[in-house]
Amino acid sequence: MNRSPLTLVVVAFAVALMLYVGFHAARRTGPGFAPHFTQSSLAPDFSLESLDGKTMRLSDLRGKAVLLNFWATWCGPCKIEMPWFVELQNRYASQGLQIVGVAMDDASKEDIGKFAKEMGVNYPILIGKESVGDEYGGVPALPESFLISRDGKIVDKIIGLRGKAEIEDSVKKALDTRASTNQASASGKNLVSP
Amino acid sequence: MTLDQRKISPGRGSLLTLILLAASGLAAAQMPPKAPVVTMEAVPLLTAQRAKETMVNLNFRVPAGYHINSNMPKSEYLLPTALKMDLPTDIILGKINYPAGEETSFPFSPDEKLSVYTGDFTIALGVHPLHSVVPGKYVMHGVLRYQGCDNAQCFPPKNVPVSFEVKVVKEPPEHHANPAQSPHIHN
Repeated sequence: MNRSPLTLVVVAFAVALMLYVGFHAARRTGPGFAPHFTQSSLAPDFSLESLDGKTMRLSDLRGKAVLLNFWATWCGPCKIEMPWFVELQNRYASQGLQIVGVAMDDASKEDIGKFAKEMGVNYPILIGKESVGDEYGGVPALPESFLISRDGKIVDKIIGLRGKAEIEDSVKKALDTRASTNQASASGKNLVSP
Repeated sequence: MTLDQRKISPGRGSLLTLILLAASGLAAAQMPPKAPVVTMEAVPLLTAQRAKETMVNLNFRVPAGYHINSNMPKSEYLLPTALKMDLPTDIILGKINYPAGEETSFPFSPDEKLSVYTGDFTIALGVHPLHSVVPGKYVMHGVLRYQGCDNAQCFPPKNVPVSFEVKVVKEPPEHHANPAQSPHIHN
């Protein structure tokens, strides 16, 4: 059986595309990564204590675009991202961005606070719990960030250290979402740094 | 179709390979990131004499593409690799010699050198059975705690079980030089 060269080119292109998508997605995945996340599924809600001793609930941030960053003091790549987050928080706060760090650490609250201060963090840091990590697919490696739309849905997920521009693109994607009418009232809340 | 026609032609073979590669690429996208698993080589039976420290080498392997912090990482926030042993009564843990870490910089922090272990590394450990230990075979248990990363992400600390067998033997009988014979004095 003879195949036309055009068919072979089309098949080769399709295979190359599958390879590209597969390997690219292995590094940076969308919300479909964890089996229990579906496209645009609601970000699991949680309440966690912040470094200043207040309790913060994720759903209180409805109306804002949230970058939820799981990190730890022992994680080198996490340390690289933090200054970028500081910059992004400064740049996009007025448009409704709220970055929230969740420390998945065995270190003491004091050590986490000291680390955050050294890094000049200007967004809330929460003391993580394994149960919250489990809700977000187990968080098997750090850093891991979830981009949450203004109406509380996961719109993107970034595993491992990625480029600053790529993170900024994801932030813009979350900022471009619209809050549902009954959630927009929460958008006026401003959160202070640790 | 003849038998010859059913054979996979080289062109079709390449296409099949490409499709399999693509499928594995897509499958990889569905896999969660894998934490490095440090393994320990089995230790041959060690003979240790009572009342003496005997050194044993524990050989570990970090899988390719990963690193773990050395015992002396360069930041107070990094978790050192540490061996913790729980030895039977009257068998005392001697010194633990950790290898020096390799000073390496990584793509996530090109300006900073970290002290890490990669590939194979050996920790030497002293075992010191006291005089009171009944000769025989004893199993030493412990854990190696480590925290590993690859070039873009880090994994929570893990423990690898450590165990090896020690045959405790009696110390050799003290070799007493014959005391000088005192001259017999015959009265």
